[in-house]
This record gives sequence, structure tokens and C-alpha cells, in this order.
Amino acid sequence: MTYASTYRAVLSKDLRIELRSRETVVTLAFFAVVLALVFTFGFSADETTNRMIFPGCLWAIVLFAGTLATGRTFAREAREGAFQALVLSPAHRGALLAAKTTLNFGLSLFVMLIAAPLLAVLLRVDATPHLLELGVQLVLGSLGFALVGTPLAVVAVHARFAEVLLPMLVFPLVTPVIIGGVAATAGTLGTTPDQDIGPWIQLLLAFDVVYGVGGQVVFDQMVTE
Amino acid sequence: MRGTAVLLTLALLAMIVGHYLVFEWAPIEAKMGVVQKIFYYHVNSAFMCYLGFLVCFAGSLAYLYNRKGRWDALALAGAEVGLVFGLIVLVTGPIWARAAWGVWWKWEPRLTSMALMALMFCAYWVLQTFGGAGEGVRRLAAGIAVFATPNIFFVRIAVQRWGGLHPELEDKSSGGLHPDMRVTFSVVGLILLLTFIVFLRMRYRMHFQERQVAAVRRRLQRIGVEA
Repeated sequence: MTYASTYRAVLSKDLRIELRSRETVVTLAFFAVVLALVFTFGFSADETTNRMIFPGCLWAIVLFAGTLATGRTFAREAREGAFQALVLSPAHRGALLAAKTTLNFGLSLFVMLIAAPLLAVLLRVDATPHLLELGVQLVLGSLGFALVGTPLAVVAVHARFAEVLLPMLVFPLVTPVIIGGVAATAGTLGTTPDQDIGPWIQLLLAFDVVYGVGGQVVFDQMVTE
Repeated sequence: MRGTAVLLTLALLAMIVGHYLVFEWAPIEAKMGVVQKIFYYHVNSAFMCYLGFLVCFAGSLAYLYNRKGRWDALALAGAEVGLVFGLIVLVTGPIWARAAWGVWWKWEPRLTSMALMALMFCAYWVLQTFGGAGEGVRRLAAGIAVFATPNIFFVRIAVQRWGGLHPELEDKSSGGLHPDMRVTFSVVGLILLLTFIVFLRMRYRMHFQERQVAAVRRRLQRIGVEA
């Protein structure tokens, strides 16, 4: 089993299950819609205020929906000892992590594809001139979230209280992504004095690189049968 | 056992001397008055907190690669003692901030990174303490401790730029300290270091023995003895 073949096998298995059952996709989509509605009920005010709170709401959805998706990463493997079998097999663990990360990243992007336009409509924020910048930010941010969250999702296989522990572990770790993402989005929309978003994009990129590499290095030692 | 008792007594006596130096011997700072005395404990506790987390990081790294239970015990002990000092920092910090800046909390890089770091190691501690006793949990926790550490740099960079609107960082440790204050500061630092070592030793021994007992119990179960 090479790295690439393991990666393909795990990812295609998960994708196939997901496409047949659609359970995670549908649940996440509804969750995102509910979140967007809650934020609108909670914060909606005049045009200027809405424009100012939009970045925070957007990235809060990334955080919450991402955590929900991450918690289910190894849900199928946790049953019937499949995780143990995977870890005991000669399959490359880094490839397993990469496949799971890809899936979580894809799910995050899917959620944002629904939530971001909906939130913009509900808060009456016109983001159409900045679609490219916002897209880049969301891609980098969601990737960072998936890279940090996915290895930690093993907690659900081994530990008790996993549903509480996972957010406890993930939230402090993704703070740089949230700060960077919110600041970049606010800069793009022109609601902060600091409108130079270059450094924030660099921060997100550096975060993705460090945690992409770090996950591959640590994950191998981190999991046990 | 005797060693611990001796060390504890020593630390306790030293602490009394430390309190005397801080409250009686060191002069009262002109601008801030008595509140400045928090500085002796606050800054030194922050050093000890960093030291504890460093021990946790090093112990976890060693445990991940050689899988010896004592490294895991050392890492957990480091995190616990670090958290205790972190709590002191996070309690004395706002009191200091209130006197120096007029607010209880300020989103300043040092404060924020300390708070987030404490949160991360809190999660580590919760996982180790309540997550269960299996080796899976231990390995996972060690991985998280290693994984979390580079995050500190990102938090600092992010907060520094984000809070860029009020960059006036008053450096607490420099800027014309009275020599008596400097002596007091160093002495309190050494006393807290002694306390740190005593605590670390106690917790380490306890966790190490727990792991040994668990190992013996597993071995007995394997050969069919009820234990």
C-alpha cells in the first residue's frame, strides 16, 4: 500500500458512503442554516452594523459547523474495531489522516457554500465585489481548521467525554485562524481601519503549512491500536 | 517521603522570607503604590508557568518516541504545576491591569497568549485526568501537547497585529527598577522555582506510581490473578 493508494482508498470509501447516505452533508447544511438564522435574530441591526458583524458571524459558522463535522470523522471507524484494524494494517497513517482531512475540508467548504451567501442575504451585506478574496480566505481558513481538528478527532475513538473534549481542544488551537479570518474578512469589506489583508493571508498560509506538516509528523506516533 | 517533607518545609520557610522581602523590605513604588508588589509574584509565576508547559512539551515529545511511562508522568506533572502557576498569573494579572491601565482585561499579546496557552493545557489536563486510563488516551494527550506548542507563536503574531491599535506595551520588567526591588524580584523567583520543583517532584512521583500500579494490575490480570 503506497501513500497515494491508501489516501485514495480511504477517501473514496468515505465519499461513497457519504454520497449514498448523505447524512453528514444534510445535517451540516441544516445546522449552518440554523446558525445563520440565530446570528441574524441575535445581531441584525442597521446596514453599517450588519457589515461590521458579518465577518464574526461567518467565522463562527466555520468554527461551529467545522467542529460538528470533525467530531464525526472517525465515527464509523470507532465501531466494530475498524479503527484498530486500520491502525494495525500496514496502511500509511499519514495517508489516513490526509484522506480524513480532505473529507473534512470538503465538508467545511460545502457548508460555507450554503452559509456564506445565506448570511450575506439575511444581513443584507453586499459581498459580490469581493467574492474572490472571501473565497480565498474561507478556503485557507477551513483548511487550517480541518488540519488541526482532524488529528484531534481521534479523541472520539479513545476517550470518554469526547463530545466536550473535542471543542475544548480545538477552539484554543484554531484561535489564530479565527482572528486571522475575521480580520481579513473585515479588511476586505472595509469595516476596519486596517485594510491591508496581505499579512493575514500569510498568517493563514503559514498556519496551514505548519499544521499540515506537523499533523503528518505527530499523527503516526499519536494513534495506537 | 522524607525528602519531600524537608523540601516542602524549606519552601514554606523561604516563602515567609519572600513575603517579608516583598511587603516590608522592598520600597513602595512611587507611581503605582502598593499594587506594584503584585509584580514580584505575577511575573515570576509567569516564568514558572512557561517552565511547567515546557516540561510538559519535552516530556510528551520524549513519551511519543520512546513510550516510557515515566515521561508521560513527567509531562502530566509539568502541565499540572504549570497550570497552577498559570492560574496565579491570570488572577494577579487583571488586578495589576486594573491598577496600571484602568481596565481588568486588555487584549494584549502577552495576556492573550498566556490565557490561550493555559486553556490548551487545561484541555490536555482534562483529557489526561477524565478521558480514561488507556494507552490510547496517553498517546493522544502527548501528541496534543506537542501539536499545541507551535500554536503559541501564531497566537502571539495574530494578537499583536490584531491589537495593533494600542501598541503601548509597558515593559514591566525593565525601566528603572530600584536595586532592592531587583533583589526582591530575583529572590522571589528562586523561591517560586523551589516551590515549582517540590510540586513537580510530588506530582511526578504520584503519577509514575499510578502508572506502575496499573501496569502490575494488567500483568496480574493477564496471568489470571484477581487484583
